[in-house]
Amino acid sequence: MRNKFDEQLATLNREMISMGALCEEAIAVTARSILDGDNPAAIDRVRVLENEIDQKERDIESICLKLLLQQQPVAGDLRQISAALKMITDMERIGDQALDIAETAVFMGPLEPEDAPLLGELARKVISMVTDSVDAFVRHDAEAAGSVAAKDDEADSLFTRIKSSIIERISRHSGTGEYALDLLMIAKYLERIGDHATNIAEWVEFSVTGVHKGGEML
Amino acid sequence: MTKKIFRAIFMVAFLVLLACLALITGVLYDNFTRQQSDQLSAQAELAAQGVEDEGLAYFDGLDSGDTRITWIAADGSVLYDTDADSGAMENHSTREEFIEAVETGRGESSRYSSTLSTETIYRAVLLDDGTVLRTAADHDTVLALLLGMFFPLLAIVAAAVALAAWLASRLARRIVGPLNAIDLDSPLENEAYDELSPLLTRVESQKEQIKSQLEELSRRREEFSAVTDNMSEGLILLDREGMILSINPSAARIFGAGSASIGRDILTLDRSPELRSLMESASAGRHGEVVIERGGAEYQLSASPVLTDGVSRGTVLLAFDVTEKLKAERIRREFTANVSHELKTPLHSIMGAAELLQDGLVKSEDQQRFLGRIRSEAERLVALVDDVIDLSRMDEGDNFPREETDLLQLARDVAGDLGPAAEKRGIAISVGGSGGSVFGVRRLLWEIVWNLCDNAVKYGRDGGHVSVAVEGTASGGVSLSVADDGIGIPAEHRARVFERFYRVDKSHSRATGGTGLGLSIVKHAAQYHGAQIELESEEGRGTRIAVLFPPRSTG
Repeated sequence: MRNKFDEQLATLNREMISMGALCEEAIAVTARSILDGDNPAAIDRVRVLENEIDQKERDIESICLKLLLQQQPVAGDLRQISAALKMITDMERIGDQALDIAETAVFMGPLEPEDAPLLGELARKVISMVTDSVDAFVRHDAEAAGSVAAKDDEADSLFTRIKSSIIERISRHSGTGEYALDLLMIAKYLERIGDHATNIAEWVEFSVTGVHKGGEML
Repeated sequence: MTKKIFRAIFMVAFLVLLACLALITGVLYDNFTRQQSDQLSAQAELAAQGVEDEGLAYFDGLDSGDTRITWIAADGSVLYDTDADSGAMENHSTREEFIEAVETGRGESSRYSSTLSTETIYRAVLLDDGTVLRTAADHDTVLALLLGMFFPLLAIVAAAVALAAWLASRLARRIVGPLNAIDLDSPLENEAYDELSPLLTRVESQKEQIKSQLEELSRRREEFSAVTDNMSEGLILLDREGMILSINPSAARIFGAGSASIGRDILTLDRSPELRSLMESASAGRHGEVVIERGGAEYQLSASPVLTDGVSRGTVLLAFDVTEKLKAERIRREFTANVSHELKTPLHSIMGAAELLQDGLVKSEDQQRFLGRIRSEAERLVALVDDVIDLSRMDEGDNFPREETDLLQLARDVAGDLGPAAEKRGIAISVGGSGGSVFGVRRLLWEIVWNLCDNAVKYGRDGGHVSVAVEGTASGGVSLSVADDGIGIPAEHRARVFERFYRVDKSHSRATGGTGLGLSIVKHAAQYHGAQIELESEEGRGTRIAVLFPPRSTG
């Protein structure tokens, strides 16, 4: 009976890592497509990835519920499973938003050279946040999870800088309004992905230490 | 064990007790009964004699003890009884012993009491007057006897239980004690009782077998790890679920895995899309290969499923470092592309000029110029093809004839050849040094000097200076150095200028001419002679390239 339980936990772990890796790939492909400007191929790939992420979410949900019902886990195992249930929601949102970004990028057209450095930096920051949070999950490393939150502040300030540069451009009446809006949306989506990565990291911390956002839950 | 022994001992004791009881009771009871009956018969005879003689008076003052004496008339009515009132007693004419006595003179019988606890035996004697004298005595039945012995017997059984229990536990201890004390590491050296020796022999032989199997196992494992630990390829063995069973040091280095990674999922080491697709194909039973980039190096990962009866039991993951291979491939591709391009450019020129000439579109006074261009481009082609042939011959490692060559003289010749080109740009070439000769391939040495000097002139500053020096080195070799004060080579290009067709100026500017193969030929020619090349350069200040020939081998 226990053996089966361990097996199911290992499967859960593997599926979680796969889902995290899919998210990383989705946002990496998306970011590359904006920065390098080869949208049509990228959007198909992201769409496939988004579908896979959704499928993984359902799979993991069913694994978690099966585990909860059949094995009635306690303590660390229970934390791990309930944290997984929360994390997949954030991961699924990351997939959705990656697709949103790719679609918006198609409307937006090529990135203007003056926006590239800031947006590129934001994208790299967010990608590293997703990677770090998945890494923290893989290694069950609460400390690494904690460092993701710090990066989120940097991502937020990058977003604010992009926003002010857009405002400045609008006030100068240069460029098209549509482009500016699309760029703002993309930056906002990226910033949201950063928030989801932070959430994931917080749940990793919870699953390892039992502390969520600085407070005991169980 | 104790329980079994206890049961056996107790059963034996109990059976012995029962048997003894039955025997003794049977024999003694029989004996006792016979004695009593003899005594009773004697008493009957005695009493009969007495009554014959004295009549009723015989009974006066007679103490008959336990024996009851009854005098019965011929009709069966009781005349006298020592124990009861004769008048109250019933007629005895139907009694067995009475009937027997009347018929035969003597009668006997026995009857059990209503409780079966006592048996009464009777003896009857017929008197002369036709009356019958009967004696009777009671004795306890076997059942009553046994009932009487019940409590003592119980005590004995209880004692037997206690004794059996004690003996059983003691015996069990004595049997098991040596077993527990057996030293299994050296079974045959134990001092145990004889019955144990077959067991000990078997233990010994099994121990030997286990030991040899363990040794075999650890030997195999050592062999395996000796092989895998020292291979430069990464090797990871995975089970069906993708858990790491074994990972060799090279693989651990490639994936940055710690010692704790055994028993964990391969995806915890690497979750790149390439590896995941590889694992998917492996778990589906297909062989797969991908190239991944880790820490600046490129690795080819190949995953082979381990199939037993068509079912995947696990996966073998091999990682080769293909950085060099891919780099060589890239260089070869670039080289091919470059060669084609370089060959095509002069041909286009030649074709263009030839077409114009053929179509008669060239004025007669320009014809010479066009023919000149065709010739110079053809010369360029020939030079390029020569260079490529030289390079490929050196690549093949062809043997060229070697001869003693004076490098200083060679440098002077080259300087003379380059004189017109240098003069055109106002560059002065000076050849100096103590001189030295090398035993080598004259043609290749000429290529070295020529290409170095040609480059120095090409990339030198207008009105600048090129100095060529041939000197003996401290180690007994010869050094050839060519220095200019031209544009220099930027730091990021220095490592690559010896590659074929590599040019600092990517536009492949034709202003300076050249094939892009010069330094590559120098490198190969130097290698052919076992010489080393030193490159010193400062952007905007000039370049100095020295070729250090090793001391001549005496052999």
